[in-house]
Amino acid sequence: MKLLRRTLIATAALVALGAQAAATVGQPAPDFTLKDTSGKTVRLSDFKGKHVVLEWTNPGCPFVRKHYDSGNMPATQKDATGQGVVWLSINSTERASSDYLEPAKLMAWKQERKATPTAVLMDEEGTVGKSYGARTTPHLYIVNPQGVLVYAGGIDSIPSARPADIEKATNYVKVGLAEALAGKPISAATTQPYGCSIKYKSAS
Amino acid sequence: MVTTPYVRAELLAHAPQGVAPGQPLWLGLSITHQPEWHTYWKNPGDSGLPTDLAWTLPAGLDAGEIAWPLPKKIPIGTLANYGYEGTVLLPVPVTVASSFAPSPLAKDATIKLRASWLVCRKECIPEEGEFTLQLPIQSTTALNGAAFEAAAKALPQPVLAGTNGIVPDSQAQIADGNLLNVSVQGLPVALRGKTLDLFPETAEVIDNAAQWKQAWNGSVWTAQIPLSAQRSASPSLMPVVLAEQSPAHATGPDTRTGYRAELKVLGTWPQVASVASVSPALEAALKANAAQASGAAAPAMGSGASSLTLTAALLGALLGGLILNLMPCVFPVLAIKVVGFTQHAQDRRAHRVSGIAYTAGVVLSFIALGALMLGLRAAGEAVGWGFQLQSPAVVASLAALFTLIALNLAGVFEFGHFLPSSVASLQARHPVADSFLTGVLAVAVASPCTAPFMGASLGLTATLPAPQALAVFAALGLGLALPYLAASFVPSVARALPRPGAWMDTFRKLMAFPMLATVVWLVWVLGQQSGIDGAGALLILLVGLSLVVWALSLAGRARVWMATVSIAAMSLLVWAFAPHITHIPTAQAATPSTQASATGWQPWAPGAAEQIVATGRPVFVDFTAAWCVTCQYNKKTTLANADVLADLQTKNVALLRADWTRRDPAITAALTQLGRSGVPVYVFYRPGKPPVVLTEVLSVDEVRATIAQL
Repeated sequence: MKLLRRTLIATAALVALGAQAAATVGQPAPDFTLKDTSGKTVRLSDFKGKHVVLEWTNPGCPFVRKHYDSGNMPATQKDATGQGVVWLSINSTERASSDYLEPAKLMAWKQERKATPTAVLMDEEGTVGKSYGARTTPHLYIVNPQGVLVYAGGIDSIPSARPADIEKATNYVKVGLAEALAGKPISAATTQPYGCSIKYKSAS
Repeated sequence: MVTTPYVRAELLAHAPQGVAPGQPLWLGLSITHQPEWHTYWKNPGDSGLPTDLAWTLPAGLDAGEIAWPLPKKIPIGTLANYGYEGTVLLPVPVTVASSFAPSPLAKDATIKLRASWLVCRKECIPEEGEFTLQLPIQSTTALNGAAFEAAAKALPQPVLAGTNGIVPDSQAQIADGNLLNVSVQGLPVALRGKTLDLFPETAEVIDNAAQWKQAWNGSVWTAQIPLSAQRSASPSLMPVVLAEQSPAHATGPDTRTGYRAELKVLGTWPQVASVASVSPALEAALKANAAQASGAAAPAMGSGASSLTLTAALLGALLGGLILNLMPCVFPVLAIKVVGFTQHAQDRRAHRVSGIAYTAGVVLSFIALGALMLGLRAAGEAVGWGFQLQSPAVVASLAALFTLIALNLAGVFEFGHFLPSSVASLQARHPVADSFLTGVLAVAVASPCTAPFMGASLGLTATLPAPQALAVFAALGLGLALPYLAASFVPSVARALPRPGAWMDTFRKLMAFPMLATVVWLVWVLGQQSGIDGAGALLILLVGLSLVVWALSLAGRARVWMATVSIAAMSLLVWAFAPHITHIPTAQAATPSTQASATGWQPWAPGAAEQIVATGRPVFVDFTAAWCVTCQYNKKTTLANADVLADLQTKNVALLRADWTRRDPAITAALTQLGRSGVPVYVFYRPGKPPVVLTEVLSVDEVRATIAQL
C-alpha cells in the first residue's frame, strides 16, 4: 500500500509538473481558444486534420518588421495557405505595452503588408503564448493534423535584423512544411527563435 | 563615435607600444546605454542578439573574437536575457603579424569597424554604426588604458587558474531527460556559500528564466538546472560563466568577478521525437477505421473536424474492458475471484459490498495508471499503454507476486503462518479491502492485453484533455469489473453456483497452475528484456523466495533455524543476481526473438516503411511486444498461417516488425501517429493509397481480404 501511495504522490507531482511545462516537439500541442481581430472565437482543435502554423507577432518589433516589410512573412503565409495549411498569427503583447495595437489596427497593419494568415488572434493575457513557451517575435510553431507539435523555432536560420540576410537564410517554416506535407519527419524540428522578447503581461 | 537616443558607442584602442609585431594591441567598442536599456552577451538568452563587430584592418593585423566581459542576467517577466547595462567595453585582441609593413611614410594605421547591436528596454531597436580610427603606428595609444584594464578584469577567469594546468572536473549530468545536474569544482574560496548566477555560453539548452536550486557541497558548487522544453542544441561540452548573484538592475560599480568552467556533459540528451506527419487521406482512413472498430454509429460527418467522439471512445473503452475479462492475462485473477465468490455464496449483502469494492479497485487503479501515463507524457517521456511492463523491475515484481499467490493457492503456506496476526486477519476481517486489492491486481496484469476496440480509445487519450482521457480509463475499468459487479447483484447467479464443500479446496489448488503459467510468461518476457541471464536470475530468486516463504511457514525451532538460513541465503541471492534482472544486454547480444528475420521479417526503423513504399512495394508493419499476449497470439496463429504468408509473398509485401518490448521513443511516436498508444497495431502501407490499420484481434480472413486489395 505504501508503494501505491508513493505512486499516487509521484503521479500527482508529475501531473502538476506537466501542467507547467511548455509545449514540446513530439507531444500534443496545447489546445487553446482565442478571439480573432474581428471578435470571432477560434479554437486550435477546430483545425484537426490540417497542418497549422502558429506565428507569434508584434508589429512594434523590428524583427517582425524585417520579415513583413520585406514581404518574406506574407509570402511564406501565402505559400502555406495555398497548400491547405492553416496559419494563425498570434499577438501576445499586453495591453499596457507601448507596442500594443487594437485588433482593428493590427489587422490594418497586416493587410497593408498583404499578409494572408487564416486568422490574427489576440492573446493579451499571454496565456497561450506562455503555454507554448513562446519567447520572441517572431516565434513559429507547426502543429500536424493529429494535433502534435512538430516544429518550434525561428522563421529562418540567420538571426539578424537585416532584411538583406533573408535571401541567404534557410526558411525553416517553408522547409518544415514541405517535409511535413510530404509525410516526412521535419529535419530541423527545433531551432533557435530570434527577435524581441514577447511583451507579456506581468504575473500579478 | 555614434550616438543614438539609446546608446553612445565609441571605438577605442589600446596600444601602449604602438602598432608593432608581437606588441599588445587591443581594439574595442565601448557602449554606454541609456538607463533601463541593454545590449546582449554572446548568448543573448531567451531573445535578443549578440553585438556583432566586423573589422576592416590593414594587412598584417588580425582581430580575434570579442573577449566578452561578465554579463548580467536581465529578467523580463517570464523570460530572461544575458547582457549589459550602463557602460560596457567589448575588447578584441589584435595580433600584429611580422608581415605588417606600413609604408615608411604612413604615420597611422586605419582601423575600420562596422558594428551592429540590438538595444532593448522592453522594446528593441536594431542599430548599426560605422567607425574609423587612425591609430598611430610609432607612438603610444594608452588614453583608454584604464577602460581596457577594467574590461580585462571583467573577463571571466578560468576556474582554478594557475595551478599548473590541472583541469578541474566540472560536469553537467543529464537527469530525467529534463534537468542538468551541474557540479563545478575549483571555484575560489571567496565564493563559497554564496548564491551564484550561471551564464551558459551555449544558447538554446537551458530554461533561462527558470528558478533552480543550488547548493555548496564543501568546495563543490552544485545546481539542478531545468532544460528548455524546446532545446535545439545538444553540446558535449558546455562552457558556463559563474558569478555571485547580483540584484536585478543593480546600480553602482560592478564588483563581481566571473569564473568560467567547461562542463563535461554526461549522459545522453533526450531525443526530440521527430514526428512524421500523417496525410489527411491517412487521417480519414484512421478515422473510418476507428469508427468501424468502435461499432458505434459511425460519426460520418463531412466536416472531418471531429475524429472519434468522446462518447464513442467511452463506449469503445467499456466494451474493450468487458472483452478484457476473456483475455489470458486477466483469467488467473478472475479465478481467485471466483474462489472468493463461492466462499460466501449465500451472503448477498457481502457479495454486493465486495462487488463494489472490486469495481472501485479496478476503476481507481486504471485511473491511477492512466494518470501516471499522462503525467509521464506531459513530463516529456515517450510512453504508451503497457509502458509499466517495459520495465524489467516491474515484470520481476509481478513474477514474484504471482509465485506467492500460486504457492498460497497450492497450500504450501497460509498467510496466517508468518504474518503478524493483525495483517493476516486483514483478509478475513476486511473482505472489502481484499476485494479492492484483487481489483488492483487485476489491472496490474490486464494492461498488457490490449483488447480489440480498446486501441482506438486508448490512442485518443493522448490527444484528449486530461479529465476526458481519465474518463476513458475509468470506462475501461468499469467494463472489466462489470461482469463481476453484475453477478454480485443478481441473486440467481449466486444461487446457480455449487455449494461450498470439499471441491473448493481442489479447485483452489487447481488455480495455482494458471498462476504458475503466468509466472512462466513473465519470466519469458523478462528474458526478452534482459536476456537469458536476467531470466535465470529471476528464476533463482523465485526459488529463493519460495524457500523463505516455506521456512516461515514451519513451526517451532525448525522455523527459527530455517528462516534465518533461508533469509540469509536469499539476501545473498538478491545481492548476487538482482542486478542481472534490470541489466539490459547490448543490442547484438540479445536480439529479441520477435525480430527473427528467418521468416522474412525485418526490424522496423523510423521512416523505413515510407522508404520501401516509395519504391512501389507495399509494406506490412507488426507493432508488437513480448509482454503483449494478444500480439503473441496473433503472431503464432494468423501471422504464421500458410495462406497468409503465401499471399504476402505473392504480392511482394515487405514485412517489418517493430518491437516495443523495451522502451523505444521512436516506436511510441510512430504509434501516436497512427492514433494508437499501445500494441498490437497492424498496418498495411500501400503506394499511392492511404494505409490500412487492421483490428487488434487479427483474423486470417481479414488479413487475406486486405492483401487482396493491394
